[in-house]
Amino acid sequence: MALVANAINVLGILFLSHAVYSAWEHSLLPSSSLPPSPSSILPQALDPKINLPLDIVLETLASVFFLCLGVVLSSPSLKPIQWSAWAGRLERCKEARKYTEFGVGGGNPYENLEERPGFLDIRGANRDFAEWIRHSKTT
Amino acid sequence: MAASFLQPPTGSSPQTAIHLSQGAASFLKSQRSAFTLPWPLTLFLNTDSQEKWAIYENTLLACLRTGDFDSAHVALNAMIDRFGKTNDRVVAMAGLYQEATADDKKELEEILEGYDDILKEDPTVFSIQKRRAALLKSMGRTAEAVTAVSALLELSPTDAEAWAELSDLYFSQGLLEQSIHCLEEVLVVVPNAWNMHAKLGEVTYIAANRTEAAGEQSKLLAESMRRFCRSVELCDDYLRGYYGLKLATTQLLTSLPTQKKSQQSDLPPIASVQKLNELATAKLANILRRSSSGEKGWDGYSAAELAAVRQLLDKDTQKIQR
Repeated sequence: MALVANAINVLGILFLSHAVYSAWEHSLLPSSSLPPSPSSILPQALDPKINLPLDIVLETLASVFFLCLGVVLSSPSLKPIQWSAWAGRLERCKEARKYTEFGVGGGNPYENLEERPGFLDIRGANRDFAEWIRHSKTT
Repeated sequence: MAASFLQPPTGSSPQTAIHLSQGAASFLKSQRSAFTLPWPLTLFLNTDSQEKWAIYENTLLACLRTGDFDSAHVALNAMIDRFGKTNDRVVAMAGLYQEATADDKKELEEILEGYDDILKEDPTVFSIQKRRAALLKSMGRTAEAVTAVSALLELSPTDAEAWAELSDLYFSQGLLEQSIHCLEEVLVVVPNAWNMHAKLGEVTYIAANRTEAAGEQSKLLAESMRRFCRSVELCDDYLRGYYGLKLATTQLLTSLPTQKKSQQSDLPPIASVQKLNELATAKLANILRRSSSGEKGWDGYSAAELAAVRQLLDKDTQKIQR
């Protein structure tokens, strides 16, 4: 899917640059088209004063459509905004709990209400650890 | 899986603690640079980051747990150099180090006196208040620990960690009613903590099994069922919540039909309890099936919890076969 989306993006960029270049080239040819009558809606400064052929217009529109499609398709999947869905993912899979940087990751943020690092019984933890080592050596 | 250095080693498995403390020596060595630049140039070479000090703290805790006191001392000294001796967190870390390296009861008493001295100067050093309570609990003086945590809560009644600790202390003394009250206070502070809802459900369930009066028991079971329902509402596929929900509803289904009509008004109707029981069974079976088949994104449950679920479900099917 990512490959297809990227291909569409590249196609869109190619078409868009081609269309822009064609329009530029076309505007340089004085004999290619008759200048249109001055626009009644646009202000004087914004009036392009040239006629673009239909194929360049169509190419521009198509390339913009391709780019929109590509950008939408290549965007990452949406993150859950519902509390229960987010919490459920944390419980369910290990990947969601991974520490990626400081303060990001680590699963249930309320876990420390049960572990309580502020009230850590270090002597007990030390004893348990020694017990675990002894146990794993004998078995 | 390589354990991340950013993972706090307090509640993690012994393997992660070993991994962290084995990496401690090389990490501390890497932090000691051979030369230091003169003052104005050091500003351009800032190596301080939150990650760095989080790793220092985790390394210190892991080394204390595994008994590697030399590395712990180096890490502690680095933290003292950086943050100063009077920083709340550093004071607590230094206390932890002293506690872990104390040889006998007399030394522990001295550390306790040291805590008292700090608190006499400034009673709002919460990290030391907590250390003092933890040390009292570790020395087996639970009643004094309860007083210490209560005093802390007088000063800071929104400290959820302290309420949870107080609940645990009461629970260890068998005072379930007080324990439930403390957990309710925790939920006032953090109403979205799904694990605390499940915990409250568990303690209520135990309290229900302890009471003799049938009416009171049904009421407590219904209360416990509601707590578990809230925990699974806050967290999809919460194994602990569904396990408790199944236990509570199963017992409620045996005790509800024996109740008198007059008492049933504030109890849930049997039909909805039955439905909840079926839902919990279906969810647990689903979790068990998907986890044991190794489906992608379902590898987060602990093996012990899954084994307990399998046992519970097996017991259920045996009953039906008979």
